[in-house]
Amino acid sequence: MLDLQGVRFTWSSAREALIEIDVLRVAPGERLFLRGPSGSGKSTLLSLLAGVLTPGAGAIHLLGRNLAALSGAGRDRIRADHVGFIFQMFNLIPYLNVMENVMLPCAFSERRRTRAQRRGGNVAQEAHRLLAALDMAEAGLLQRPVTQLSVGQQQRVAAARALIGAPELVIADEPTSSLDADRRNAFVELLFRECRQAGSALVFVSHDASLAPLFDRTLEFTSLNKARSPSRQDAGPEPA
Amino acid sequence: MSAIPTLAIKSLRNRRTTAALTVLSIACAVVLLLGVERLRHESRESFTNTISGTDLIVGARSSPVHLLLYSVFHVGNATNNISWDSYRSIAQRPEVAWTIPLSLGDSHRGFRVLGTSPEFFEHFRFGDRRRLELTAGRVLQDTYDAVLGAEVAAKLGYRLGERIVVAHGSGEVSFSLHQDHPFTVTGILARTGTPVDRTVHITLAGMDAMHEQMPAGRSADPLAAALGKHGANGGALHRPPQGEAHPHEDGDVRAGHADDGEHGAITAFLVGLKSRPAVLSMQRYVNDYPNEPLTAILPGATLPQLWEIVGAAEKALFGVSVLVVVVGLTGMLIALLTSLSERRREMAVLRSVGARPAQVFGLIVGEAVVLTLAGIGLGFALLYAGLLLGQPWLEARMGLFIPIGWPSTHEWSLATLVAIAGTITGFIPGYRLYRHSLADGMTIRI
Ligand SMILES: Nc1ncnc2c1ncn2[C@@H]1O[C@H](COP(=O)(O)OP(=O)(O)OP(=O)(O)O)[C@@H](O)[C@H]1O
Ligand SMILES: [Mg+2]
Repeated sequence: MLDLQGVRFTWSSAREALIEIDVLRVAPGERLFLRGPSGSGKSTLLSLLAGVLTPGAGAIHLLGRNLAALSGAGRDRIRADHVGFIFQMFNLIPYLNVMENVMLPCAFSERRRTRAQRRGGNVAQEAHRLLAALDMAEAGLLQRPVTQLSVGQQQRVAAARALIGAPELVIADEPTSSLDADRRNAFVELLFRECRQAGSALVFVSHDASLAPLFDRTLEFTSLNKARSPSRQDAGPEPA
Repeated sequence: MSAIPTLAIKSLRNRRTTAALTVLSIACAVVLLLGVERLRHESRESFTNTISGTDLIVGARSSPVHLLLYSVFHVGNATNNISWDSYRSIAQRPEVAWTIPLSLGDSHRGFRVLGTSPEFFEHFRFGDRRRLELTAGRVLQDTYDAVLGAEVAAKLGYRLGERIVVAHGSGEVSFSLHQDHPFTVTGILARTGTPVDRTVHITLAGMDAMHEQMPAGRSADPLAAALGKHGANGGALHRPPQGEAHPHEDGDVRAGHADDGEHGAITAFLVGLKSRPAVLSMQRYVNDYPNEPLTAILPGATLPQLWEIVGAAEKALFGVSVLVVVVGLTGMLIALLTSLSERRREMAVLRSVGARPAQVFGLIVGEAVVLTLAGIGLGFALLYAGLLLGQPWLEARMGLFIPIGWPSTHEWSLATLVAIAGTITGFIPGYRLYRHSLADGMTIRI
């Protein structure tokens, strides 16, 4: 489903390449854990996977289409239709309420809108169903300004938004790093369940190794990424 | 995509205090811009409409603009008069169809008094060649008749038959009252939107009779004495002594028509010609009049000179209001730019759900457009509120009647220019966010 080959990426302001990945494959529905130290380029890789950034060299195939060869608008279309994204924090649009935040992707993707409708009857019902599955459907919570939610609640809203319309790929960039250990595991379990329901593959990035056993597969970012292999690491190597 | 306008509105609602203040500042700028332009346009319009159908205005030698101002607009005073003989001899020329003598210099409770003849009501035209109409009574007939302009009657609450006293000089405070010769209101004119509304019209004979009674002529004129520069001649500023003129016995004049016979000097007179092509030769004739230095002007040719004089002030005023619009839009720019850093996260989220960089750009520009349009809308509302409130005041104090009509095409184009300027202002923060969203990917940083 996701297939990277010989991908290189250099920030325009940097001298050296940040990312050099020979091969990376993610199967449909697979749950992949990517672990790596801070500053190693994990978030940058996720931007490449989502088609927000384009690699300097190599190919990134998502659902058979090479993101690197598509126009900006084409990549935006693919991302809107097939990718859900969860950030580390500040996931929510402050001027939208919980429901509006969850339904947001359906405003940008026809495909996800129809899929959400097919699953839930209509978009709002599907949003409500996802929120309920993530224990967020308490009365009063849905219409509340998102600025009044706790961080854990915000992350669950973000997960519901990433999952609505069942995108083939859910990308999570350290979504649990501001949660305590109990909530972190509960959140990951919920995310797994809903990804399985939606049939989405999950690429989950974190520097927190304790989550690794929960996943189908774990990759060390530093060994995946030739540009940041331990010998060339400047941020101090971590024990593998 | 309909998502972007909805987001723009919701985002603005979320920051409603800033948004409201921004809208208000744009609205104030728009009110100023449109108000100044409307005032300028309407005052020109009303000046242009003050007189029509008159071929020449003749007065003592002076600058054309000065003559136009004091004779028709009742602004300022004449420096000299025209002798009755000169007036008669010009009026009797074969090219002349009609003349209207104008004798200014007195006032009634702050309103100008115009001594004239019944021809005034017959030949004077304003606006689109409209003639004066009476709402009550009749035009001037007897020596002590007075016909009031609409504003005079309304403001002072006069009705027909009321007896009024005319004062010398034109100030609100009368220096000497012509107590002996009270005039009787015999007619009230319909509203014209011109200085006629604020004028008390009396007969030349009535004016003469009144001034005959003045003790010691005009050297006692306290206004002239206070100004101190015209000396004994100061009287000529207003009305000359009438001693040498052929005095009318009161009863005499009442019996006959008010404009029969001879009068003292007059301030100016309006001329209608039998054929328009004669106007230039007639003007030359008057300007070269041998017995007395006179000036003849074509009202239509002198108005542009007046605009030239006031044009600089108008331009300055317009410039100031344009600057205020710039300040208003800069306020909006500041409000949008300061929100940008906190909004970069929001933009990353929008990008992650599939928004294109162009849509991120459109969101910010859309907010600028909404703010500007709201400001313009509120500006128009405030303008009309101001016009409704200010209309009576402007008419009473400035003699400027501002009709409340739909915005002119000029105003629409000004509003459109403001809208375009507001949109372009939005391009600045929009472009910055656009650049960020392209360069940063979805990495959120401060
Ligand atoms: N927009 C950008 N422009 C230039 N350099 C960038 C940009 N974003 C990130 N970088 C650089 O790329 C490197 C990797 O950043 P990235 O955010 O991908 O790391 P990360 O692995 O996600 O770290 P963390 O675990 O702290 O989130 C850093 O050295 C950073 O300075
Ligand atoms: Mg990161």
